Amino acid sequence: MPALRDAFKGPHRENYLRAYARLNGAGYGAAVLRAFEASAPRVAGQVGPDQAIALAADASRIAIKATPRAAGKYLDLCPTMALKLQKAEQFDEWRAMIAAVLKSSPKAVLPLLSRSEMLFDRLGLEPLGAWIQTGLRVAGQDTEQSLAYFQLETPEAQRLLERYAGEANFPSLESGLKSFYTALWRRTPVLREAGPNGPNGPVRRTSFSGGVIQMPSAYSGFRGTEKQLYRAAVAHVGAHKTYGGALFQLGQLKPLQVAVVSLLEDARVETLAVRDMPGLERLWRPFHTARHDGLATAQNLFAGLAWALIDPDFQPTHGWVRKGVDMFHAASGRLHDPAISRQIGNILGNDLGQTRVQFDANSYVVQPAYRDDNLGLWELPADPDTPPPTEELEAPLADLRQTETDENPHDRKQEWSEPETPDVLEPVRKVSADSETGRKVSSLPEYDYHAGIERNDWVSVNAYEPVLGDAGFWGQLKDRHGATLSRIQKAVATSETGKRRKLKQQLEGETLDLDAAIDTAIALRSNRQPDPNVYESITPPPRSIAVHLLLDISRSTADPAGPGLNILDIERDAAAILATTMSQLGDDLSITAFSSSGRHDVRVIPVKTFENPLDEATGLALSGLRPGFSTRIGAALRYAAQSMSGRLRYRKIVLLVTDGEPSDIDMSDPDYLVEDARRAVQQMRSQGIDAICVALGNDAGQRQTEIFGRKSCVQISDVATLPNKLSTFYLRMTR
Amino acid sequence: MRLPVMLKGPTGCGKTRFVEHMAWKLGKPLITIACHEDMTASDFVGRYLLGPEGTYWQDGPLTKAVREGGICYLDEIVEARQDTTVIIHALTDDRRILPLEKKGELVKAHPDFQLVISYNPGYQSVLKDLKESTKQRFCALDFDYPIARIEADIVASEAGLNQQDAERLTKIAGKSRNLRGKGLDEGVSTRMLVHAGRLMSAGLPITAACQFALIIPITDDPEMRSTLAAAVDACI
Repeated sequence: MPALRDAFKGPHRENYLRAYARLNGAGYGAAVLRAFEASAPRVAGQVGPDQAIALAADASRIAIKATPRAAGKYLDLCPTMALKLQKAEQFDEWRAMIAAVLKSSPKAVLPLLSRSEMLFDRLGLEPLGAWIQTGLRVAGQDTEQSLAYFQLETPEAQRLLERYAGEANFPSLESGLKSFYTALWRRTPVLREAGPNGPNGPVRRTSFSGGVIQMPSAYSGFRGTEKQLYRAAVAHVGAHKTYGGALFQLGQLKPLQVAVVSLLEDARVETLAVRDMPGLERLWRPFHTARHDGLATAQNLFAGLAWALIDPDFQPTHGWVRKGVDMFHAASGRLHDPAISRQIGNILGNDLGQTRVQFDANSYVVQPAYRDDNLGLWELPADPDTPPPTEELEAPLADLRQTETDENPHDRKQEWSEPETPDVLEPVRKVSADSETGRKVSSLPEYDYHAGIERNDWVSVNAYEPVLGDAGFWGQLKDRHGATLSRIQKAVATSETGKRRKLKQQLEGETLDLDAAIDTAIALRSNRQPDPNVYESITPPPRSIAVHLLLDISRSTADPAGPGLNILDIERDAAAILATTMSQLGDDLSITAFSSSGRHDVRVIPVKTFENPLDEATGLALSGLRPGFSTRIGAALRYAAQSMSGRLRYRKIVLLVTDGEPSDIDMSDPDYLVEDARRAVQQMRSQGIDAICVALGNDAGQRQTEIFGRKSCVQISDVATLPNKLSTFYLRMTR
Repeated sequence: MRLPVMLKGPTGCGKTRFVEHMAWKLGKPLITIACHEDMTASDFVGRYLLGPEGTYWQDGPLTKAVREGGICYLDEIVEARQDTTVIIHALTDDRRILPLEKKGELVKAHPDFQLVISYNPGYQSVLKDLKESTKQRFCALDFDYPIARIEADIVASEAGLNQQDAERLTKIAGKSRNLRGKGLDEGVSTRMLVHAGRLMSAGLPITAACQFALIIPITDDPEMRSTLAAAVDACI
């Protein structure tokens, strides 16, 4: 075979033959061998003979751990990937990704391989690696879950794919849009992604009502200008909110009239906005591209009128459009009055009604695309049982109600307690079955103050896999606590932990280094070269700190702590803010949620270990925490102390966030667990680990002070301020 | 009375300008010390240096002002470490003295000595806040960005810009200030507007001037930059 001879020269040829023979002897079937034979020379030509030869070993590993079929698929795919990747290192990187999946979830290799090309085209190499890594971490040991992920069947997989692909859709643009709106209109909007489908097919227009602006998750047909379109859309809604008046009454208006009045109102608020901010016109006008002088259908006439009203250069040909423009211009001095829209709209609507122009309310979509569906302009019947005044309005309205409840963030808890609600958490919930069985990770002593003895191996600590929650957790956190996060970020930059050191013999410094000064003075007088380094200064201390954050997730943290929030929700946010702070500082952080159900089952959920970075998986684990069981503080403290005993850090802190005193189902004496926890704290301090407690709620604090001492215990009575205070407190104590 | 004065307000709203103006009006020398976080007490009061004949004492800028009289202006005092700022305490009550601890000297303040500090509450964070004991020694003036009309006048006259362009710049600044605490730590300051205005009167188009003088300096976040650029675009 000449191709083979060209591809593998010299020693490579021998290696190739050896690899071939090995693959041949292993008996994975003729298909694998054929695939290798076909792929190897092409891969060798693209990225190099070493890579091509290594494919044999890859293939046999895949054949053993997964299936020979997957191995064949792999080999078939390799030339394509080699062609796409070009460089040997990048090809190796891609191979390593597949190997990683093979290692932790062999079954997922085949679905991944069959989507590899598409994934690579969409993501590129590095984001592809990130997407795969996240998938493996999200699924953990659960093969079903990882299979579903790599088959792109879970919403997480899709969502993360979109995120890593960096495609401009609503989630990727959301925060920018929010800022844009805030900058222009001085109000912070509540933006929501609309549900994927309304009753009339996909949601294609923005909609606002009450305080919420819902936007389609993507606009199709605007590739490349999505960002402009979304901006135009939020600017348009802002104009409504700024210049709009009270809601219009529907009265006896027909759908056609409703549409015309809405259109004029759109033009009215836009004109006013452009008077204030002339540049908005340049943002909006490019989207007025609809055909306007073709058939005189309502849709075309509307598009023409919309265009003519915003663009003075536009020369309307149709008499109806011209009439509309003239009336609008005649009213230009009174545009601040919303009644204008209604007045002109009624007249124009009547005119059009008499011309027998067809108007199909069901298929009508507002043009151009950046405008909203106008539902926010009208006073709509509150009672869904009331017969709909117009078909056109009822259908999207039903959709609005439905998506509103889906999207409301305050309903998070409800979603947890009602598993039948279909939502993004659904497929993930399957994991929770596995997280019901813990894995014993440690046996700990406990102190009995009655007997005055410590009982070894008295308490069993079981680790439970985190239940995965919301993939959008970090984004929502930013929404809720953006100000806090940025404030803390700044404080963090200046905080210091660690030990200061004196620097002797410096060229500059606060005070004279006496020894050096004397030496220099002697040198001067004896006419020798004096050393100018005569000052002393102090180093800024290096940061060296490790924190183990313990979150109490006992039953009582389900208590309400604010509108639609329970204590755990707030603990969760606080932990996330603290984690963000610490990862910026480069501090070591581990987060463990704990509860207990008797001494044989102290339940710990490792939300984040010291080794894992702070990432999507941390957010998923945090948002998946749910309240339950009791609080055995002593055991949790010992567990945390154990986890950090080997870490070499100047300061080690165990930070406990709890809402109550220790209690457990197998212990009726209230003092027993308090005394035990106190003992645990003392032992930790003797090992150089600080134990600090943040006690939540009004009644809390009493027993915590006994356990931790007054100085190491902070009581926060307004639970809702915890996220803010915890990070602040952290900065203060690490100073 | 020579009461110590604290000027509060966001950066670039005219605090330093105000002090300079007052010094000129009162005909007094002005010693400005820009505080930074590595600043130690010695940087204020002075230190021993080593000379050919042994050690000698060198007065710091604060000591100089205390001895000779004049306005001493500590700019952005919160930037200095808290343990450093306590050295001004004895100067700010009825004692009006500056103890030079290392030298063993008690400097009595010149009758014309006056202390002014500036402080940007926006910077205020858990760590960088004035001690209560420092805060309470000062009378305070609140500064903020001027109202749009006056700000436009300032930009026009400082930058030699026409009134219409100055008003456009002021409007843009207003938009950015809407984002204060919501993505931006501070809005665009009057000082930045003057920079942009100067660029414009030198012939740079407004978009480029805003990009160069306002948007790029104020944030590193590419998304926020793009948002600000869009907001600028909407205003012009």
